[in-house]
Amino acid sequence: MEISSTSNLCIHVMLLAFHYILFDSILVVYPFRNRWMETEIVAVNFLCISKMPSISTTLPALRRSQITISFHPSNFHAAIKSSMQFLILESVAAWKNSRILTAAALYLLNSGVNHASFISIYGTEICLSISESIDVLVSEINHFFQKMMILNIPPALRLFFFFFQNIAIELLIEREDIPGSRCENVFLANRSNPGPLSTSNVEFLKSGLEDYVLKHGNSLTQKCSTCFATSECLKVGSGIACSTESHKSSGLMMEVVIIISEIESTCPCFRECSSKTEVLYFKDFTPCSISHSTLNVLSTIDWKSYGLTLENVVDRGVCVLEWEDSPSHSHIDMVVHCYHKQYPMHKTQLERHLIKKAVKAALNNLKEKHPGILLSAHALKICSHAPDLARSIAGLILSSNDPDFQGECFSLLGLQSREIGADVVEDCIEEKIVSVIEMNDRKSRQRKVVAPFLFEADCDQDSNYQDKEYEEGEDEFGYVD
Amino acid sequence: MRFFADREICYADILPPPEVRARIEVAVLNFLKILTCTDPAISDLLLINRKSSNRRVSQGLLTDDDTWIFLSRSFCKRTLMRANAAKAFIRVWKVMEMCFKILSQEKRVTQRELFYKLLCVSPDCFSSQLQVNRTIQDVVGLLRCSRYSLGIMASSRGIVAGRLLLQANNKEVVDCSECGSSGYAISGDLDLLDRLVMKTDARYIIIVEKHAIFHRLAEDRVFNHIPSILITAKGYPDIATRFLLHRMSRTFPELPIMALVDWNPAGLAILCTFKFGSIGMGLEAYRYACNVKWLGLRGDDLQLIPEESLVSLKPRDLQIAKSLMSSETLQEKHREELALMVQSGKRAEIEALYFHGYDYLGKYIAKKIVQANYI
Repeated sequence: MEISSTSNLCIHVMLLAFHYILFDSILVVYPFRNRWMETEIVAVNFLCISKMPSISTTLPALRRSQITISFHPSNFHAAIKSSMQFLILESVAAWKNSRILTAAALYLLNSGVNHASFISIYGTEICLSISESIDVLVSEINHFFQKMMILNIPPALRLFFFFFQNIAIELLIEREDIPGSRCENVFLANRSNPGPLSTSNVEFLKSGLEDYVLKHGNSLTQKCSTCFATSECLKVGSGIACSTESHKSSGLMMEVVIIISEIESTCPCFRECSSKTEVLYFKDFTPCSISHSTLNVLSTIDWKSYGLTLENVVDRGVCVLEWEDSPSHSHIDMVVHCYHKQYPMHKTQLERHLIKKAVKAALNNLKEKHPGILLSAHALKICSHAPDLARSIAGLILSSNDPDFQGECFSLLGLQSREIGADVVEDCIEEKIVSVIEMNDRKSRQRKVVAPFLFEADCDQDSNYQDKEYEEGEDEFGYVD
Repeated sequence: MRFFADREICYADILPPPEVRARIEVAVLNFLKILTCTDPAISDLLLINRKSSNRRVSQGLLTDDDTWIFLSRSFCKRTLMRANAAKAFIRVWKVMEMCFKILSQEKRVTQRELFYKLLCVSPDCFSSQLQVNRTIQDVVGLLRCSRYSLGIMASSRGIVAGRLLLQANNKEVVDCSECGSSGYAISGDLDLLDRLVMKTDARYIIIVEKHAIFHRLAEDRVFNHIPSILITAKGYPDIATRFLLHRMSRTFPELPIMALVDWNPAGLAILCTFKFGSIGMGLEAYRYACNVKWLGLRGDDLQLIPEESLVSLKPRDLQIAKSLMSSETLQEKHREELALMVQSGKRAEIEALYFHGYDYLGKYIAKKIVQANYI
């Protein structure tokens, strides 16, 4: 019990740190008082990196206890690092979002963790002193960072692309009672092409999720080359939905990235759970659990029109979508990131409306880029008739004894020689039929697809044409002789 | 009264095989052009609607005699793009392919043979004879050529007997009065029927609904007592029988044609099909409408039969009655007869007349004809 609440506390603290860092702020919390210890809150402030550094005060010394968990960007330019050390305070009075900070402090006070001595967040360094066993904590933290790397380069730190190429999160675990026990775990946001400064958040999210998938949930440091021999194994689609800014809301962005990966079942890393998708949810650049209402929205999406059947939505801390009849060699990964365009953030109700829009946009994006995937159940049913139709048309062409007719058919199909076999002709026609069906499946979301008629109709179509199927049966009792 | 109603007619041409093959080739080329153009699509098939809503009537100005029904320019479509209807679309192409091959080999097949061929080649697409028949009509409606032109022979059920001499292709002359009670079987080959040379000294043509009655009349050589030609389709008229009847009516225009049917809605419907044509084959059968009169069994004949032989109308009978009532082509007197049937809820078969003896039927017919008691 205590350990899990410790983990929660730790995660929460790190979330706060990320949160404020990513919005160009540094939160500094000095040693604070809790009910059991005699330390005191000295000051709580935060400030913006964008302001000119005003080096006014040195930091107070930090007290450390048994375990220190810290993270910091590696390859940090020394000068910047040192100046950040002093980019601390303006004035005690210049608090922004003091309510949030107070809430954080209260949370920490009421978390019930008996042995938290102090919390300090220094620059990009968080120190949390805990006297509990760390094993579960460490695996939770690992898991946390694995997810965090999906977000890739946080906006604030993109400024530093000019100075370094890699962003890494380093997890140092040191037990002070056991000398030399320090061990490190590095999470590399490794990009060979980090992209220009103007690269949008969703592009970062895409590359982050790609990495996550290629490294099997960021548990590896490199892409798994056994499972993913080529980058074509991954099909990536993204969708964005946003609400406009107004005086009531700061404007909400919803970004969704969906990756369909195909891996060989012979690969040792093949995951058994290909019929499940964990929805990785981020809110304002921090991992978060999905609200119940948002979860409900996910289950109302018309998955069938993408050829998917949602069997179940499971919420056990993480949201898992369970699919029915999914192909065994393909896996769907999904990340959803909801954030406010502006800071400070106001509470908004729009989230669940936007998530549906963004998920559908991502699915449609996948369909556009990769013809043939996510075909609706309707299109799949029609496709099943394609071989029959192709065979018929090919049969008609090949059984003709008119060479001009055959020549014209072959030329329309782009086939060179007349000596080719029935199989080749059939396959060629079938391929074209299937591609039209796939194209219509993509288009049908936007507008009704109208096909031309085989022969020109010599009728006044508007008045006489009945756009309905010829239904069998009915009418005159008479049957055709 | 509408003038020139038949300008709106849609009909199926009777074409020689090369012409039909050419139409099918055009269909394939159009399909491929639309499939491979810059904005590719799978073309829909536009068919003439074979429903009563698309039925039109052509009526003579002076008499009701020259009335026939035809299909007009109302269309419906077959498309691949609706999952539930996609199979019907595929079936049309399958039948076109089969007919194309049959015509290329200069053969003809019956509908039954075609069904089995299709069942072997595409078992997933075809499951019944009725389905094949309807698909054939789809192809007729698409290509606008007659079923016969597609290489499909009507399997005829019809037989003819009586005072008629037939000669086919310079072969020997067949005397239909000497064919015995089984009569002369009408071929399903419309070409052959078209080339038959016919001679007669009959004064009437009598259509008989049922085979058993035909058999009785032929055996009793009724056609010698009343110089006549007997013809039957053994039930609902097939196109070959109608074709031959039509030819007879054109060759011997002075011969009145009358029908001997059961007193029930189905019997009247058979009469109407001979008389006006049908929707099911409305694209081609409009040509074979004949002026047919109703000899019997009629309402005023009911006094001749015992009451026990009057049987209740079945729901199917009522359905047929309703369909006939709604038809604008039904003559007044026929409408009255139909109303009487429905009101009484009863029907009677011709066999009921045997109550008076097996030779009574011939006398009954003779009496009615002499009295010109037909409507």
